[in-house]
Amino acid sequence: MSGLGELDRPGTPGSAEAWDARSEEWLGGSGEPGAEGEAPRVKGEVPGELSAVGQGAGDVRGAVDRDEAVSVVGQGAGDARVAADRDEAVSVVGQGAGDARVAADRDEAVSVAGSDAYDTAPITAAPGPRAAGPEGDAEQPHPRTAPEPTSRATDRKPAPTRRGAADPVKALMHRHRELCERAVDPLEIAAGLEAHGVTDRTAARFRHRDVFALAEEMYARVPRDEAAAPPSDAVAAQPPRAGWAVLALLPGVLCAAAVIGVRLTDGRLRLTAAVVGVLAVALAVRIALGRGPLSNPPGTHAWRTPPGTRLWTYWLLAYALLGDGLLRAAADGGPDGLPTGLAGGPWPTATAPVLALTLACAPAAWCAHHFAVRAGRKLATSRGLEDFADSVRPLLLGTFALFLCALTALLALCGAALDEPAAYAQALTLGALLLLARLLTVHGFTHAPTLALGAAAATEAMALSLDLIGRLPGCGFLATPVETVLDSWGPGGIPALACGAAALTLLFHTTRTLTRASAHAPANEPR
Amino acid sequence: MPVRIGLLTEGGYPYVSGDARLWCDRLVRGLGQHEFDIYALSRSERQEDEGWLELPPQVNRVRTAPLWTAEDDGVTLGRRARRRFAENFEELAAVLCAGDGQAPEVADGVQGEPGEPSTDVADRFANALYGLAELARDEGGLVAALRSESAVRALERACRAPGALRTAREARVPELLTVAAHLERALRPLSLDWYEDDALGSVDLCHATAGGTAALPGLLARHFAGVPLLVTEYGVQLRTHYLASADAPPAVRALLAAFHGRLAAEIYRRATLITPGNSHTRRWQERCGADRTKLRTVYPGMEASRFAEVGEAPDGADPDTLVWVGRIEPAKDLISLLHAFADLRKEEPKARLRIVGAPSGIEGEAYLGHCRALAAQLFPDEADGVHAVGDNPVSFEEIGGPEAPTLAEVYAAGTVIVLSSVVEGFPLSLVEAMFCGRATVSTDVGAVVEVIGGTGLVVPPRNPRALAEACVSLLRDPARRERLGAAARARALELFTVEQNIEAFHGIYLEIVSHAPVRRVVLDEAGEPLPFAAPAEAHVPGRWTGPMARVVARGGPTWATGAPVRATTPLPTTEAAR
Repeated sequence: MSGLGELDRPGTPGSAEAWDARSEEWLGGSGEPGAEGEAPRVKGEVPGELSAVGQGAGDVRGAVDRDEAVSVVGQGAGDARVAADRDEAVSVVGQGAGDARVAADRDEAVSVAGSDAYDTAPITAAPGPRAAGPEGDAEQPHPRTAPEPTSRATDRKPAPTRRGAADPVKALMHRHRELCERAVDPLEIAAGLEAHGVTDRTAARFRHRDVFALAEEMYARVPRDEAAAPPSDAVAAQPPRAGWAVLALLPGVLCAAAVIGVRLTDGRLRLTAAVVGVLAVALAVRIALGRGPLSNPPGTHAWRTPPGTRLWTYWLLAYALLGDGLLRAAADGGPDGLPTGLAGGPWPTATAPVLALTLACAPAAWCAHHFAVRAGRKLATSRGLEDFADSVRPLLLGTFALFLCALTALLALCGAALDEPAAYAQALTLGALLLLARLLTVHGFTHAPTLALGAAAATEAMALSLDLIGRLPGCGFLATPVETVLDSWGPGGIPALACGAAALTLLFHTTRTLTRASAHAPANEPR
Repeated sequence: MPVRIGLLTEGGYPYVSGDARLWCDRLVRGLGQHEFDIYALSRSERQEDEGWLELPPQVNRVRTAPLWTAEDDGVTLGRRARRRFAENFEELAAVLCAGDGQAPEVADGVQGEPGEPSTDVADRFANALYGLAELARDEGGLVAALRSESAVRALERACRAPGALRTAREARVPELLTVAAHLERALRPLSLDWYEDDALGSVDLCHATAGGTAALPGLLARHFAGVPLLVTEYGVQLRTHYLASADAPPAVRALLAAFHGRLAAEIYRRATLITPGNSHTRRWQERCGADRTKLRTVYPGMEASRFAEVGEAPDGADPDTLVWVGRIEPAKDLISLLHAFADLRKEEPKARLRIVGAPSGIEGEAYLGHCRALAAQLFPDEADGVHAVGDNPVSFEEIGGPEAPTLAEVYAAGTVIVLSSVVEGFPLSLVEAMFCGRATVSTDVGAVVEVIGGTGLVVPPRNPRALAEACVSLLRDPARRERLGAAARARALELFTVEQNIEAFHGIYLEIVSHAPVRRVVLDEAGEPLPFAAPAEAHVPGRWTGPMARVVARGGPTWATGAPVRATTPLPTTEAAR
């Protein structure tokens, strides 16, 4: 079959039982002469009979057939004419479009009911619904099983009125209660009624021109309580996934292993351990950020971490590892060798802050998860956008503070374990900057993080190069600002200042962007 | 004169899994004298992966754009563009929340004309829509702007404004976000670069194969380049939307229903002609404000040739066999059919019932099981004698089985074809039965009466007794069966063949082009218009006005005479020349 039929298929009722019980009610309302008002009946002469129920402006003309009973149920504003000869009654309903011409046999009486509403005269070859008797026999598997076929001679008694027909629409509304209460406009009721098989001819039984008019009456008659329905707070509780929690621990664990490896080895082996360690940690961070609350929403090309952000992040981490040592060595006349990976030596490396930062991936992931879940809950319950912003701002700041506390604790722990200075100022500002940048990226704002990270990295690079250039003859004045910072706060002052300023700016930006509802819009579109 | 037709589809042709692809394919193949440009919006990644149908040579080009990705176009609007966007989007949101323009008529207008949305509301909606479209055309895309906070804020303001719909006033933040996301998706055609003069601006007419989003590019092409729009609807998009969004919160339903309703009204208002596929669709279109003079019902066409042999052969049906064909699902009301058959067997004990079809979905499976159980309960197995193996008078078969090799043979085997649905759209199995020249008894649902005319018996739905008596009367009267069958076949051949469908569209194309020719101004090298460069009666392949002549649609903006300059990349579109 062609796919065209699919297009216009109305929705189907839910189950078989749901409309079985209803069916006889429609039928009950359908053909009852008492309910329909004027019901001209034409009695036949000999055994057959022709009865016609014309509703509205029905004009029924009948000729009597000798052999069989023909009943015409013409509802609506059409003319129904049935002519019958001794053999046959074929009725052709000509369409308004004027395209149906059926050639008739010679011995066959054909009557053309040329009505403009061409769907008004269904021909039934049976006495029709009037004969429906008592139903709901307990013995029978189906409540709609018809009763014993009554003989045609006795079929003339009026059918028993089954239900109070004073207000048929009310009964219909009761049947479609849920649909009526739910509907936001009459057309929705019309669509729902049609999906349940109500046609214009059914609507005619309710004295309406079409389904739309019937739906309008139903819509107008639905009692509406002005009190707003209670908001559904059913936030789908997402099953906790332990996967990302384990993955978030991976960078810290690998970094610790690398540090131990570097400390325990020597010479070429140490170099190998360092290189392998750095690569492993970089890979682990990518994996950890690729899943869970720190990952980008799926399927959004433009939301992927821009390469700039990644580059600047690497630079900032490298500076945290080596920068202070380089400045310190430069102050003593320049580094006399490559870094050894130890705190001592000609170019000391600061492993404690970097280890703490990699370990902080886990609290960062947890904080991001906490923030996303709580913000989602607030989203579901807040009434307006301002409400939402007001309730999310403290949440954001609280999450941020929580992360800083966790990072401080990790720094203290790593400093004690590695027996190195913990470098709180540099590591805390850098950690704050990275967390905020990641939060923004995750929520689809990629521009500001790149700028902030880039600015911090550029500041550090400039300070470093100015300090080195300043030692050239005649360029000493260039190094003055760097020297000032170095004199007052030591080498740690430069990254602390750069990252701190960037983190503050980003924090301000975050409190404005991440408190928007559109930042938390679910991005799960069907693919 | 060949007509260049821009065929607009959404989730349909030319994708293998598209809606209405058969119809479109027949249309394109059947009208080889015209040229087709296909502009397709794809609905899902899976659909894109499944590929295209094979396209005939009259398809000049295919351009596609995805509706499913959340692809950000990266367009950041400047200050003035942002203000323009905010103004237009606020207007759009205000129109959506402003309540129904037809509300006053609803109360008493039982017999009045179908309520049309007031022209004021319709105009405001149109202005906002075209304002957004012009902005998208100037800036290169609106995806990011439509997803932005300012859009959500505009929606919120509109919902809280005095005079807003009652349901809209209750909208909370998640609902606002849902509405904004849906609007962004629905308005994605605005961000496409299809309306330039080398694309939809150059076709003679746009033929939208569905309403709603599919017709939106046609609406914009009409707005930007004056291309006439033809809308064909075999199912009403608005109604589909109502049925599909039944689970959404009331505020979302109210706002989106308002959007789709207004969009449909605007499409019907601007369309040159509208072709509904049946009278049911037609009624909905009239209800949504379509002008009756624009409506031309074009019935879907079906392949008649595979039923020709059966239809023209003398009646070789098995005696006393009723056949039901279709997909088995609850809406088909087979229960009622079985009860009718039980009634019928009291008068015609030899009758058999064959139910041919496959269940659709899990629900259909369950329903089929239910029906089998009921059949076994109602009709015990019967045998001819004490030594024969019994059989049930009701059989459930599938096409391709040993008893039912092809569809045509199934119809041929039936003395009477029965249709017992309670809900039906356009009854394809009934049309097939008509092609086969079978006498039919069907329930009065959907477009059944419209299809059958007077060439078969129609009984009320959910009335097994009436169904049974109609079947008995046909089973007992072979002459009547034959007459009805012949009349049904004649009617089907007249109305429901592929040829009539294609011929109707051919005529409609020519009618539209004759009434609304796109007069193109051909410019010479200096940018001056060349008079008589494109006479209406000539359309020859190749160019005869020189290679440098540029074509600009009448009324096109002055900047369009230059080479198109684009500051930003539009939505990703793929193009393949054919």
